Amino acid sequence: MRIKDLGTRPAPASLRELLSRAVRGQTPSIPVQRRLIPYWQERGWTRQGNTYSGNYQTPYGAFQGWIEQQRSGHIDFYLYNPSQEIQSHSHWTCFQHRGNDWYLVHMGKQPKDVSSGIMTIERLIKEAFEQQ
Amino acid sequence: MKKLSVVVAGTGQIRDVEIQPGTTAGDVLHQLSLPDYLLSKGPNEPFFAAAESIYDKVKDGEKVFASTKAEVGIVVCA
Repeated sequence: MRIKDLGTRPAPASLRELLSRAVRGQTPSIPVQRRLIPYWQERGWTRQGNTYSGNYQTPYGAFQGWIEQQRSGHIDFYLYNPSQEIQSHSHWTCFQHRGNDWYLVHMGKQPKDVSSGIMTIERLIKEAFEQQ
Repeated sequence: MKKLSVVVAGTGQIRDVEIQPGTTAGDVLHQLSLPDYLLSKGPNEPFFAAAESIYDKVKDGEKVFASTKAEVGIVVCA
């Protein structure tokens, strides 16, 4: 007799999984929940009471910011140590120095929420760099 | 038809819409009852004009942002 029976052993796990999938078909997809978070949070800003701190993020870098929401709903946006590019922008006169290199960004048209204001300032910074 | 996810910047709420060729940014905002908002693909992209057709400018399934109108200092400073 040329063949000797050595008994049985389980197939490797990877092979068993492959065969199992072939038998039962594709497994159902698992829906991934979308995060419903405001833009400021998505961009890594943190909130403490009525103030927010974080960075205005642009393709040209991240710029430290601070935001204060007044009880009236009015929102003040601050930018720390604006770069030379920002200082050369046509809207530089809208930046009011408030000491320690912090500048208040005057909004001619106030955004209705913090996130919209952050997006506006990020756009302005990007524009300042692209106008160089 | 293309599907779009419109993120309302202030709340993070996501509104799913389906648009047909010729749909303008204004159509989308009107449909979502966001009259004081502007639509963009993000802070590094320009706002779509209300009358601008967006169908060819967005990808199927893309996320776009709706944010409220704001301008730095244009009334007082510009």
